[in-house]
Amino acid sequence: MVKAYYIMIAGVGGQGTVMLSRIIGDAALMRGLHVRIGETYGAAMRGGAVHSHVKVGEEIHSPLLMEDEADALLALEPLEGLRRGLTYLKPEGVVVINTRRVYPIDVNVGVAAYPPVDRIVDALRRLGGVVVAHDFTALAEKAGTSRAMNVAVLGAFSRVIEGAETPFDREVLVEAVKKRVPKRWVEVNVKAFNMGYEVADRALK
Amino acid sequence: MPKHVVGVDQPGLRAVLIGNEAVARGAIEAAAQVVAGYPGTPSSEVIETLSLVAKDFGMHVEWSVNEKVALDVAVGAAIVGARAMATMKNAGTNWVMDMFATVVYGGVSGGLVVYSADDPDAFYSSTEQDTRPLAKAVGVLILEPKDQQEAKDMAKAGFDYSERFELPVFLRSVTRICHSGGDVEFGEIRRSRNKVFFDRHYKLPFRWNVYGPFKYGGKVGPTAKHAWQLERIEEIKDFVNRSEFNWIEEGEVPLGIVASGIGYSYVKDALAKLKPDGWPWILKVGTPYPLPEEALRKLIDNVDKILVVEEGDPFVEEQLYAFMKEYSPEKPIYGKTRRQLVLRYGELGIAQVVNALARFLGVEAPNIPAGRRAVKGEVAKILAPRSSALCPGCQHLGTYWGLRFALIKAISKFRGRMKGVWIVNGDIGCYEQGGYGIFAKEIEAGEARESRRVMFNNPYEILDTNYIMGGGIGVAQGEFHAGYRDGPIVAVAGDSTFFHACMPAIANAVYNKAAITFIVLDNAWTAMTGHQPSPASGVTATLEPARRFRVEDVARSLGVEHVWVVDPYNVKEVEKAILEAIETSVEKGVPTLVVARRECILQVVRRLTREGKELATYVVDEGRCVGCRLCVQLGCPAVGWDRERGKAFIDPVLCVACGLCAQVCPVNAIVPSVKGKTLRDYVG
Ligand SMILES: Cc1ncc(C[n+]2csc(CCOP(=O)(O)OP(=O)(O)O)c2C)c(N)n1
Repeated sequence: MVKAYYIMIAGVGGQGTVMLSRIIGDAALMRGLHVRIGETYGAAMRGGAVHSHVKVGEEIHSPLLMEDEADALLALEPLEGLRRGLTYLKPEGVVVINTRRVYPIDVNVGVAAYPPVDRIVDALRRLGGVVVAHDFTALAEKAGTSRAMNVAVLGAFSRVIEGAETPFDREVLVEAVKKRVPKRWVEVNVKAFNMGYEVADRALK
Repeated sequence: MPKHVVGVDQPGLRAVLIGNEAVARGAIEAAAQVVAGYPGTPSSEVIETLSLVAKDFGMHVEWSVNEKVALDVAVGAAIVGARAMATMKNAGTNWVMDMFATVVYGGVSGGLVVYSADDPDAFYSSTEQDTRPLAKAVGVLILEPKDQQEAKDMAKAGFDYSERFELPVFLRSVTRICHSGGDVEFGEIRRSRNKVFFDRHYKLPFRWNVYGPFKYGGKVGPTAKHAWQLERIEEIKDFVNRSEFNWIEEGEVPLGIVASGIGYSYVKDALAKLKPDGWPWILKVGTPYPLPEEALRKLIDNVDKILVVEEGDPFVEEQLYAFMKEYSPEKPIYGKTRRQLVLRYGELGIAQVVNALARFLGVEAPNIPAGRRAVKGEVAKILAPRSSALCPGCQHLGTYWGLRFALIKAISKFRGRMKGVWIVNGDIGCYEQGGYGIFAKEIEAGEARESRRVMFNNPYEILDTNYIMGGGIGVAQGEFHAGYRDGPIVAVAGDSTFFHACMPAIANAVYNKAAITFIVLDNAWTAMTGHQPSPASGVTATLEPARRFRVEDVARSLGVEHVWVVDPYNVKEVEKAILEAIETSVEKGVPTLVVARRECILQVVRRLTREGKELATYVVDEGRCVGCRLCVQLGCPAVGWDRERGKAFIDPVLCVACGLCAQVCPVNAIVPSVKGKTLRDYVG
């Protein structure tokens, strides 16, 4: 029996959390597994906090993770990564975190302070296992579009889980990216994926 | 290739669909012919999805102006034999009740599915209302899916069930089904479409006229049709014992769980987690009304006590209680009201179900060790909130800025006549954020009968009341007719809300002479629910060109004589118009209207981005900035305040170069960066 695998994806509206959860869902289908993805979309407004619960396995029924259940946290934005990691990351859970900040209105108007990103990364190290932190937005820009940031994070994730018992590997995730992303963006996204992979590879060495 | 995977004709295909997409696929497999609805989160994706593939299947899909009209349309289709569906969120179900309660008197010939998406925990709604009691009150079969696969299967079967009993079928979903993804296996698409025909005496004389001289049970007219309906319900009660959506899973210990809809999925995952020594009995319920009594009896016979797990009200629980009272009064029920193990408010959630089951089964629930709790407590200290706000550059920001200053000026103008407390009645849409209180200070509840707090410094505290779509303009009239004269009475609404629910209220205001000022924030779309077209958009759900309605034309024809149309990106113009409108309504004792019109900024920016156009951003010239913070009071998420330097700044990631902050800056310290064009350069 394949061990069930739980992923928490955190970010803000417009960063591609939903797209990322679908790519992972497709990869699970390719493996013949069941998927549940728990999301609320927020309103149509930009910039709100969003997160996805992704559950993959042979027997999965409901869409939500419990506290400390996430095998992996994919954080597309640091503060949101901390917010969800705090609740859902399990002690040995792995983390890939984009260090590019999107300021909340509360911070911009001066009623709250944005925590330093290195403190966020440290906090996630205390809460979970391996953490790969990088400016994946800049990386995706280099690949061709900042919008491929979510896929760059996925690429890094595919390196982090190498050798661990998970339903995923690099090949199936790349296949899923190709399937979901609009045709003319496939090349850029695959490039972003591979660049993300390399970043994690260097970080883990 | 179809424009959405739900249109792929490949039985056995597996795809990850959210519940609403699954319902859309179910409608396709059932060969539905007419689908009508009004946007409402979390229900909207059914029609959004179908509208992409409607043409491939010869299906009429429409956004109706409101849910009530949508159900009327669906009923019309179903009585001429077609398969029809109406979609709505929980609040919309309240709107359809008149037709819903009446169509059952005589029913339908084509299958009619009424799809209602409830929202436990009120993620997107004014209330957590459970709509199942409404459907039960009307007397129709309720289906409630456990997951996305069942959402598809039930949507499809709903049409068959409806045709079998000639009554509508109610399909009740919840946010965690509607908006959660799950793998769904596709079935066959029904090849034949229902024939469309009209037979005024179809199986019963004068079938489709509720007042028709139809005799039944010794009665004539509606009472006779009621008697007919009650017989159908008896048939349905019998039928649910054989429905594929209800089943029993036999257990090893005399403990029983009745799990309805998504409650079943939580129970299955919770049991896998708790791994009790003896497995309990489970009755999986897919028809929360009527309940499958044969299965219930079997469950009761085999257990000593029962836990009910369901999302929403204790709806199954109450019915079970009534049933047990006759059948087995000594066995205890656990649930939301009796021997409470589950809260009556909020969503079920996996954690709550795990804890409830642990207590019910007498096993230990997993918990977080104290050491880890402590680490979490420490880490949590650096966390910052992310409040929801209007979008950067939202045109509503300009309207609210103008409204705020118009109110202040109106109060000072009428100082002799008014004590100074205005009322701004809100409504439902993006602009409802004007009541979210984003930078809310701690406000004590007032003991005094009158509130004197009239000042606030951001657009997120401007709405004093808010209830339901179209409610604000009616509530405003009541305030006026009760004799409230301490300040101006204003109501706001969006364009989609205007067509949904405000038109009768405007006629009422004119007819009954309510001196109120009505402001319509017309952004040409139903923005909050995801930019579905409204009658103000000029297109239909399937993107056919359509008449573009103008709010002011409609209002004038309803008798509103004083109308101002302004651009929310011109804050002085907005302020002036609203002030004049308030003065006119107070002086003349009539309703006045201000239409603030500009297309939703998100739509505009998306279009510009698609066209590859680059936008400049605005920047603060720190040499000129005097630190007055007026621009921060605009409430735009892109405008920030640097406490250390005492200067404003513009977040370049968020800024869309609308220029609103530059307009409100008294010292012209906010200017476009030299790079690129501003929004106004592109769209005027
Ligand atoms: C009866 C009912 N139906 C649907 C909804 C869902 N809903 C919430 S906001 C909204 C859109 C309002 O659009 P509009 O008035 O144009 O304002 P905008 O969001 O575009 O500013 C809708 C349909 C609801 N709350 N109540």
